[in-house]
Amino acid sequence: MAAQARTGAGTRTGRPEQGNLFPPAVELGSSPAAVSDPAMAYTRRQVVWLAIAVLCWTVVVVARLAYLQVVRRSFFEEKARLQQQRTVEVRASRGLILDRRGHELAISVPVDSICAMPAEIPDPEAVGSILSQVLGLPRRELVKKLAVGHGFCWIARLVEPEQADRVRALGLKGIYFQKESKRYYPKGTTAAHLIGAVGLDQVGLAGVEQAREEELHGRPGKMVVSADARQRQFAGALSQQPDPGVNLILTIDERIQYIAERELHEAIVRTRAAAGSIVILEPATGAVLAVANYPTFNPNQPVRSPTDIEKRRNFAITSAFEPGSTFKLVTVAAALEEKVTRPEEVIDCQMGSIVVAGHRIRDHKPFGRLTVEQIIANSSDVGAIKLGMRLGERRMYQYIRRFGFGRPTGVELPGEAMGLTRPAEQWSKISIGAISMGQEIGVTAMQMAQAVGVIANGGMLVPPRVLEATFETGGKPVVMSRSPGRQVLSPETAIHMKRMMEMVMLNGTGKLARLEGYTAGGKTGTAQKIDPRTGAYSKTDYVASFVGFAPLNNPALVVAIVLDAPRGLHSGGGVCAPMFPRVAAEVLRYLQVPQELPVDPSLRRKRTRPDPQLLAEVSDFTPDNGLEGERREERGERRDAGTGRRGEAERGGGEPVLLAFAHAAMPDFYGKPVRQVVEQATAIGLALNLKGSGIARRQFPAPGSPLPSGARVTIEFER
Amino acid sequence: MTRYSSIRNLDWTLLAFVLAIATLGVLQIYSATRNTVWRGAHTKQIVYILAGMALMWLISQIDYHALLDRVPLLYLLSVLGLVVVYAIGDVRRGSKRWIALGSFNFQVSEFVKLVLILLVARYFSEVRRDTVSGSDLLKIGGLVGLPILLVMKQPDLGTALTYVPIAAGGVLLAGLRWKHLAVLAVAGALVVPVWWTHVAKSYQKERVMTFVVPDRDPRGSGYQLIQSRIAVGAGGLWGKGIAKGSQTQLRFLPVPHTDFIFSAYAEEHGFTGVLLALALYFVVLMRIIYNAQTAADRAGSFLCVCVCALLLFHLLVNVGMVIGRMPVTGIPLPLMSYGGSSMLAVFLMLGLVNNVRLRRFVN
Repeated sequence: MAAQARTGAGTRTGRPEQGNLFPPAVELGSSPAAVSDPAMAYTRRQVVWLAIAVLCWTVVVVARLAYLQVVRRSFFEEKARLQQQRTVEVRASRGLILDRRGHELAISVPVDSICAMPAEIPDPEAVGSILSQVLGLPRRELVKKLAVGHGFCWIARLVEPEQADRVRALGLKGIYFQKESKRYYPKGTTAAHLIGAVGLDQVGLAGVEQAREEELHGRPGKMVVSADARQRQFAGALSQQPDPGVNLILTIDERIQYIAERELHEAIVRTRAAAGSIVILEPATGAVLAVANYPTFNPNQPVRSPTDIEKRRNFAITSAFEPGSTFKLVTVAAALEEKVTRPEEVIDCQMGSIVVAGHRIRDHKPFGRLTVEQIIANSSDVGAIKLGMRLGERRMYQYIRRFGFGRPTGVELPGEAMGLTRPAEQWSKISIGAISMGQEIGVTAMQMAQAVGVIANGGMLVPPRVLEATFETGGKPVVMSRSPGRQVLSPETAIHMKRMMEMVMLNGTGKLARLEGYTAGGKTGTAQKIDPRTGAYSKTDYVASFVGFAPLNNPALVVAIVLDAPRGLHSGGGVCAPMFPRVAAEVLRYLQVPQELPVDPSLRRKRTRPDPQLLAEVSDFTPDNGLEGERREERGERRDAGTGRRGEAERGGGEPVLLAFAHAAMPDFYGKPVRQVVEQATAIGLALNLKGSGIARRQFPAPGSPLPSGARVTIEFER
Repeated sequence: MTRYSSIRNLDWTLLAFVLAIATLGVLQIYSATRNTVWRGAHTKQIVYILAGMALMWLISQIDYHALLDRVPLLYLLSVLGLVVVYAIGDVRRGSKRWIALGSFNFQVSEFVKLVLILLVARYFSEVRRDTVSGSDLLKIGGLVGLPILLVMKQPDLGTALTYVPIAAGGVLLAGLRWKHLAVLAVAGALVVPVWWTHVAKSYQKERVMTFVVPDRDPRGSGYQLIQSRIAVGAGGLWGKGIAKGSQTQLRFLPVPHTDFIFSAYAEEHGFTGVLLALALYFVVLMRIIYNAQTAADRAGSFLCVCVCALLLFHLLVNVGMVIGRMPVTGIPLPLMSYGGSSMLAVFLMLGLVNNVRLRRFVN
């Protein structure tokens, strides 16, 4: 064969072809072997087909590649990015919450979160077991998470430093740590209800934390994790830094808050009330200076039981109660404003009895002829009812609404109750009488404070607010816009009301609320609670309240005090009024409000050594309406407990220590070490009952309480 | 004979382009394997290239006529070799293709290509007519068909298929009649369904199905095609840069240094890089065709054409697969894909081309 081929080839000489890729070989005629061999010529012609095929292939492939790489490039790039990158959110640092003086109430601290790349974990079973032991997490779930073999998962977020250290020390493969910010409340229970708390996911669950979640939350950062084909992930760099949340400055003052909480706690211990609140406002601006609540909670601790959830309720704004006599302020103010009476008008209080729509309502005391001023000072029900009836249902309701009842105050806190006000059309015949003296109506402590603010402010209603300003870290504070307020009463009416409220303190039911060195106005209230079992008014459960402001001119603060179901002594004048000077005096001094009055030493003596006679007078007892028991219950119209019975109850089982004649005032042991307490107590002849060790935290009876010599005092110490 | 054997007389133009392609391949292998268990494959590839060049020179020194004279013996050895592989070969990834020779795994089927090229060249150079007769077709079909069947038994459908263009190239060059083409088409149309229902392995069916509808099973069999297309497309005009192709580096691309090396290359070097590579291949193929035309005799032409047809087939199937126009067959990209047997076989084929070229001047 080879020989054959060779014979077929013609002779020819070499031809230089350097530098020329394809010398003109396709010119068949001149090709070396073609001339003599027709088969060879045919073969060479056929070869061209192959060249054409190569060309075609090249063109097609180039066209296809141009389409893929140039025309559809972005489509494929997106596809590649989608499968190669995964973003994991990294929480932003939550905004700070500061009080008006810049003290930190809520801060965020960087804490380790533990995450895992399951693909890198050789033995999910073993690693899951170890982690479940160290972190106290359910083993089964952990193993399940780790066994998926790809992706990214959180093992535990925001773990305690010791736990993180222990896990870190294990040096497990595929387990990583990422710093995230955790909420921390350096002041513990202080202002807990106002600030609120966050859940495990660091989202606000209550208080300002919940109300301003959007701002506090910030914008989470993004961690881009590139994933390979086996979903193993690498290079967890932050592609987008988290934007920290906006910081909030509250109107509250940590110091004032502390004072309020301390006094409330002391009162709760003393009265064994189920719950209570103190609200302190700056009337001119509506700024909430403090909201103390009991029961309280530590926002640093997670919710563990339904009781814990209950404790997180902000009693001052979520709980509506029947105000009782404090509401007479609204009735009288409305009557004055509508000019249906004058402050000096004398009204016959009919010796403590009035018939409204066929029902006899009895006053807590048989008053004769009283001026309007005296009606407020003595808290006469009959007087208030008469004034309410003069106003009529429509105008009464109008003023209730104008004073801000029946709608949320708009304070920036979640879960605010509207209270309970029925439109005038739905009132029964007796309603005008009941509402005039603060029954058949539900209000919150915050609403009550707002309404008293109207009087303190010269007739202007300024809605309460807790948010002073916001600022971004490193930025300038942005002061929150304030509601301009609205005129509810004329300044003249407000002045009359202020004077009447002063009279309450000087001559009326609020004598125990008198302040040293400052003028003040106030009003007491005691309302029976409706027993949920019978639907009738309870004979044992009361809501005692006191509202007041100080000083009289240019009031610096409005205080509303509410105690729910105090035991023993339970009248607003008896249990809440004494709290007012203790709170207000200290706060006023702290706010450096100049004293207007020389301190009268007799006042001090009166407070520390109350006259039992005075105590009896001062109580604004709820009057008996004189109806038969069944009928009262039937109609769901309250009232009970006449003067005599209440007095008996007090003297019988209530607070014998308090009512007994006192020769000395209980010293304040708070914050003192054991040795000092013992020395001081023995010096004044007190028998001591010491509990615990460390620093005195609680004492019973409370500081300043009157006490007989030789009485026992219980002091609890804590470290 | 000495006047032909001078190294200076080799087709250095062809060789320059071949080495350029091989260099691109080495770089791409380096980039695609540097963080994997195959790290260092590029140095092995350089060794294969050098060895291939040596073999190329060696084979170009033996007059191809002498090689053609020994075709019967070579053919017999090939068939025997394939049978031996089937009997004692190493099983890897489910098929027996390799015989271990020391550290080098010798893939017999790659070298059978060379023998078949010689066989086809010898057969048709002896047929001195303008067209191929039916009996010729049957004979050549039988001769090439036997190794095809043996390789398919391994099973290695991809390599078996590469034998077809060798025969086809020869038949085409020898002159195929339309009548015969029609008969072949009908035969194929009959054989394919039979193969589909009786012979095809499920994974082979899967590959074909996947090729028809790649999105049918994006996590499974369609995965490679989809990922390859994403890699190519994401490369864009200029590419992502050496060792920066995320599809390649994050191992979305399957075997980015062997069968899918062109995807990896396209991702990292972009359309411009691809144009360069295709231009190089184009020149190489055309240069082989040129050598076919300048061959001293028909046997030489047939040798060159068969080599060219085989390389074109490889490119067609491999690049077609990469750009989503061909099913996954496991056919490597000549000169770029990592692999000793494939590289040596290509250089041996180029040695044949040089062999023909060295002897183009008949005296």
